Amino acid sequence: MALQSIWTGTISFSLVAIPVQLVKAVLPGRVSFRMLHAKDYSPLSREMFCPDEEKIVPPDEIVRGFEIGPEKYIVVTDEELESLSPERSRSIEIVDFIDSDDVDPVYYDRPYYLVPSKSGEKAYGLLVEVMRRTNKAGIAKFVFGEREYLVLVRVTSGALCLVTLHYSDEILSDTGIAHEREGAVSEEKDRMVKTIRDMEAAFKPEKYTNERKRKIVSLLGKKAKKQAPVEAPAAGEETPGGPGDLVAVLQESVRKLKATR
Amino acid sequence: MAVRAIWKGYVHFESFDVPVKLHTAVREQRVQFHLLHSRDHVRLRQQMVCAYEKVPVPADEQVHGFELEEGKFIIVDDEELDRIEPEDSRMIEVHEFVRTGQIDPVYLERFYYLGPDVVSPGYDALLEALLEEGMEGICTWTMRKRSYAGALSARGRVLRLGTLRYSDEVVPAGSVDLPAIELSDRELKAGIDLVNQLSGRFQPENFENEHQRKLQELIDKKASGEKISILRPKRRKATAPDKLLETLEASLKKVV
Repeated sequence: MALQSIWTGTISFSLVAIPVQLVKAVLPGRVSFRMLHAKDYSPLSREMFCPDEEKIVPPDEIVRGFEIGPEKYIVVTDEELESLSPERSRSIEIVDFIDSDDVDPVYYDRPYYLVPSKSGEKAYGLLVEVMRRTNKAGIAKFVFGEREYLVLVRVTSGALCLVTLHYSDEILSDTGIAHEREGAVSEEKDRMVKTIRDMEAAFKPEKYTNERKRKIVSLLGKKAKKQAPVEAPAAGEETPGGPGDLVAVLQESVRKLKATR
Repeated sequence: MAVRAIWKGYVHFESFDVPVKLHTAVREQRVQFHLLHSRDHVRLRQQMVCAYEKVPVPADEQVHGFELEEGKFIIVDDEELDRIEPEDSRMIEVHEFVRTGQIDPVYLERFYYLGPDVVSPGYDALLEALLEEGMEGICTWTMRKRSYAGALSARGRVLRLGTLRYSDEVVPAGSVDLPAIELSDRELKAGIDLVNQLSGRFQPENFENEHQRKLQELIDKKASGEKISILRPKRRKATAPDKLLETLEASLKKVV
């Protein structure tokens, strides 16, 4: 599987700086549809649109604004954003090493992997091996896009996995959600413990498939057999992107779904 | 303050049914930007546009097409998609229990707190059973017309439900291509010593969202017409492979 780099920079701890790339660990699992015009099946594209002029606005005429009053905005540029923490927009700096299981999973947001860039393989390998042997994970801060993230860097199957974390003020308190204990529960608990032990298994994520996706794929398969696909008018200059291969796309999806069951 | 419940259901496994209420565990806070037209600062909105004619197409003239091959589509209408929606149910069905810590964090998506819905001994019993056994329940349920897979766990006095990503959405760590490397004992020892020196406990409340604060300050400054100076991003020089040991040892001297 080709991993697509979405950021390049360094990950560092103390004086050691390792050149790395950031890649996504999560891909969209949805069946992707293209929106079409009902009358002639021309493909549609999502554009930024000015409601006053009723015109599409090209990317180089779009700016980012913060609303300070009704229809009053302060424009903030990419350079200004990056300039807020210049040292953190190109470097993921580990500030602390902690025990791997010290972070409450409720803090987890989005996972990524770090891949070593050229000549970074050795230092990358060292950090992985040292964290594995000490059972530690790193806590770091870095700026990515419009936000600054608090991140956890941990080792998964020999690779560095970076998980963005929520800030503590984004975690809602669980106080008041559970009641005080309602007296004796031991009999019920003992029966549950017995059942839990009977139902113990290893975690196999592929056992749980996306039912919706399976149903969409099967619907598409049925429709493809019954009727010929509609055709979009001959493409102008725009060529719609998308899978190039015939029914194989569907067959492949169906095969994959079957294989995972 | 505890947040309001968003959904009610019951945890089911074998002969047990534990009525629960779901509460949101995370509420994101961030400075919200809008996209504007640069010349007059009119706020833009997203619009589906005919890719050929570049004219806006209203929602009731749009259909979903699955592209079989270039320019050829299978049309799926909204009714067909509606029929695919799962039926609503109140059951959070536990299929099996796994050891805590077995779930790779890559799968974890979003957490909810589960509170007891009606007073029943089941809630406390389940909480204590899971804590005692060090187990989590893998379950599935349907909520607001979506099916979920999730992990039911216990922490402190509260049960939680973390939604799990489906395996076809997750890139396995094994896809990261890593060359075999050789490390000397000295390099490893220096690395381990350094990591131990830099170790502490995770204290999330020590990390403020500093960027957010600076961003707010920047906006305030600009609003009052102050000049903004631009700082270029700083790149750190990568440690050369043959300088690794030297750098580790210099780091150790610095922290000790």
